[in-house]
Amino acid sequence: MIFRDRTTPNVDLNFLGTAVVLAIIGCMLVYSATFFNEPGLGTFKRQMLWVAIGLILAMIILMVDYHVLFDIAPILYAIGIILLIYLLAFGKLTANVKSWIRIGGFQFQPSEFMKVFTALMLARYFDSNDRAYLDMRSFLTAMAIIGVPVGLIIVQPDFGTAASFFPLVAVAMFFGGIRPRVWAAMILVTVIAMPLAWGVFLKPYQKERVMIFLNPERDPLGSGYQVTQAKIAIGSGGIHGKGYLHGTQGKFGFVPEHHTDFIFAVLGEEWGFVGVTVVLALYLYLIFQAMTFAKHARDRGGTFLVICLISFFIFHIVINVSMQIGILPTTGIPLPLISYGGSSTMMFFIAIGLIANVDMRRFVNA
Amino acid sequence: MRVYRDDQKFLQFRINAVLWGIVAAFVFLAGSFWFVQGVQAEKYRGLSEANALREIEMPAKRGLIMDRTGKILADNQPAYLLQIDRVVMKPLVKADKQRRQKLERFLSIVLGIPPQELTARWDKEAAKVNSSQPFPLAEDLTMAQVAKIQAQSIAFPEVNVVPVQRRNYPYGTMAAHVLGFIGEVGDKELAQNQALEQGDLIGKRGVELMYDQYLRGKDGAEFWEYDADGRRLSEYQPARQNPIPGDNIYLTLDFELQRRAEQYFVENEMVGAAVALDPRNGEVLAMVSSPAFNPNVYSKRFNPETWKTIVSNPFKIELNRAIQGLYSPGSVFKVVMSIAGLSEGVVDPHTDFGCGGSGVFFGRRFRCWRKEGHGSVDVERALKVSCDIYFYQTGARLGVDKIKEYANKLTFGEISHIDLDGERAGLVPSVEWARTKQNRKWYPSETISVAIGQGPLIVTPLQVANMTAAVANGGKVFQPHVVRYVDRVQRDGSYKRFRVPSKVIHEVELAPAALKAVRQGLWDVVNDQGGTGSNARVPGLDVAGKTGSVQVIAYSGWIKATSLPFKYRDHAWFASFAPANNPQMVVVVFVEHGGAGGADAAPLAKLMYESRFRDRVAGARLDLSNPQTLEQIKEGELPLPSTR
Repeated sequence: MIFRDRTTPNVDLNFLGTAVVLAIIGCMLVYSATFFNEPGLGTFKRQMLWVAIGLILAMIILMVDYHVLFDIAPILYAIGIILLIYLLAFGKLTANVKSWIRIGGFQFQPSEFMKVFTALMLARYFDSNDRAYLDMRSFLTAMAIIGVPVGLIIVQPDFGTAASFFPLVAVAMFFGGIRPRVWAAMILVTVIAMPLAWGVFLKPYQKERVMIFLNPERDPLGSGYQVTQAKIAIGSGGIHGKGYLHGTQGKFGFVPEHHTDFIFAVLGEEWGFVGVTVVLALYLYLIFQAMTFAKHARDRGGTFLVICLISFFIFHIVINVSMQIGILPTTGIPLPLISYGGSSTMMFFIAIGLIANVDMRRFVNA
Repeated sequence: MRVYRDDQKFLQFRINAVLWGIVAAFVFLAGSFWFVQGVQAEKYRGLSEANALREIEMPAKRGLIMDRTGKILADNQPAYLLQIDRVVMKPLVKADKQRRQKLERFLSIVLGIPPQELTARWDKEAAKVNSSQPFPLAEDLTMAQVAKIQAQSIAFPEVNVVPVQRRNYPYGTMAAHVLGFIGEVGDKELAQNQALEQGDLIGKRGVELMYDQYLRGKDGAEFWEYDADGRRLSEYQPARQNPIPGDNIYLTLDFELQRRAEQYFVENEMVGAAVALDPRNGEVLAMVSSPAFNPNVYSKRFNPETWKTIVSNPFKIELNRAIQGLYSPGSVFKVVMSIAGLSEGVVDPHTDFGCGGSGVFFGRRFRCWRKEGHGSVDVERALKVSCDIYFYQTGARLGVDKIKEYANKLTFGEISHIDLDGERAGLVPSVEWARTKQNRKWYPSETISVAIGQGPLIVTPLQVANMTAAVANGGKVFQPHVVRYVDRVQRDGSYKRFRVPSKVIHEVELAPAALKAVRQGLWDVVNDQGGTGSNARVPGLDVAGKTGSVQVIAYSGWIKATSLPFKYRDHAWFASFAPANNPQMVVVVFVEHGGAGGADAAPLAKLMYESRFRDRVAGARLDLSNPQTLEQIKEGELPLPSTR
């Protein structure tokens, strides 16, 4: 049965409400970041549209029992892989990366949706695998599920997005459970692979970013410029902020990408430490609720699905917020539900829908 | 090897562990933000101010003020302003503690300002504006000064020379009291108007003040990027807001008429006022207050000396005597008396009173100005010869409150809401006034003084003009105005013309026979044998009017410096209109200590009629090109009235 009326009252409105509040804050910030340069407000209007579409997608997903989704997960996963391959073969380069597919007037990044499909696939796998520790075979299977799309995305080459699959690896290792000596082996491989990656895989601009991260003074007006300006924006906001629409750093374009990756700097500048704390608290509340859903889930597959999806949130939030003030190097990782962007907004709303979906069907006899 | 089957507890433990890890991470992040936003906020705030786009104001061009035909009376002249940019200066001062002293020394030599004065001016001006904005230090730089400063622009990058528009009044003192002047915005005005900013120049008096919202326009702004050293990088084009120029204003004043009248006061070294109105709509055709000030001196920011000379001038040159000078109307008020008497029916056009040189009213003897008396007088003759006895009789029959009623209707004792600032109401006494304001009883004998325009009654020349206009047009009192059109700038840059409407504020009912009698009397004053205003006679034009002479008693405080004979002279009035049968212009002339109205005030009225009706007046001599006088008007140097 796809649609079960009885489960609908079990929808957690607190959880959905928190997500909507964050999205509204996001729209306000996108407005503040763009209204000055863009009298037509196109970016702001588009973000409103994405949020609306995202909410509708989340609602649709709520209707479908996640077990049905588990059933069709391999098909979705396969479609995703085909799209990624299609991209490599026929995709057009945008900023030296083939990550966009255009359909009519719209364009989207299959890699964003691939995150959800991969999470579904992984959760489905763990649903049937209920050992406390993974044996080598199941561990490698899990890694392969993640590895195929990551590999395809790396050759696009879009390292930022590829890196955002990392939380799935962590989930597989930590919640799937691997033995201490496997941990040791993993760390060893990483240590050996790092210089290799540095030499072979990393592009010069990415090397530069790491170097600048280690030594920001290296280039105050180049790549370090973004972080410097974001820090100035956030610091100058002080405790109470400069007031909504009254920031100068973001509005005048001193902070680059101020409506996407660095939108948190706009928040810090205009709403100050108070605003930063409120948004962080909202995120923490969102994560807390999802983790509670994970604990109460009806089955192991549900638990893993929630953990996989919320791990994306945690990863994006921590990385994005950290790079605002230079704790971590600058990467193209958007802030969930707040940053401008169609694919990522929709992806996160789908994830919200799926998490609520698991929670909604937590009662075994429902 | 044992395979552990997972249980719910094991997974829950891991979830809880991750949750605590996340809480720790969030606390760490919040702490980091606290460090940046709480601890280091000041540092980043400074950096933000230094590198944010800076707004450079582009002042709007102030609207032009023109006479009724489009002759420009106020425009804008390009000038150079010297500004100091503290954002640029800050890092330089850090490198060199003596920098400001060096800079001041340099500027002191170039500008020719003593170092102490320059330092004081620096501190004063710098305190007025936000430190991210440049502040002005000197204005009206000569080209030589500009060149010298520009030559040192590399050594002193914090000094800016910016082209600005300075308010200019090409004819100097001409129509100064109507035009008014501009000045730097004060704290009170800043508090009242959100659109104003510290340092703005706004209208302070006259049309410049009253129509400031139209003239001002809307300032624009450029946004420039600066690097950390305060160097200007490039303009941020999308944010640019072009200034919108102010609206242009056409006054109702007639340039030639105004000049004629001012010239008369200057040539004869007279203190006083003149007002010319169009009785058909209330337009002010000329408004003179003499002596006048030169509004150009107010357009300059740094002018303590000139300011002092204006304030200390014994002739109160800032006073617009036409609307702010309060004087006894004297015999001119007899026109009001005849209207009141005829309208109330206490007299009719044929009522005769015998004048034997004096009469007893309410137990006191009052004299006519003519000892021998005028014999039998009706209203027409009473006006012509200005017989006091006739108006004593009328006043005694009306009573002071009826007189006040008519006086008020003719705008005496109240302001007429002319579009100029500071208009004074004057005073029309009444029984009520004596009781409430003076705490005494009104004596009926005082009414007799009021009847010939003496006593506590005081009026402005404009009020006399309003009254005369009402007689001229048959009883309508228009709200006088000095602005005819406002040409408002539209969005597309074109102009749309708005006309200031004429508005009737009072109407006095006058029987045609009564009106005819009063007009006839006033015509006789100028044109009949023995009339007191024959000096205003213009060949080929029917001028009607009334003279007045007021004994000076109280109005001598400021004139002490001059000699006694001048001090004791009477004030002279002449109120008139023409053509008598189809009035198109009212002229009221008032000369302080001018002696007799017929001798000193009437000739100016004649000149003004000749100027206004030059097309139809045969043989009118128009000497509008006395170079010496014109030069005096233009320079704003009005010679003080000398002892005669």
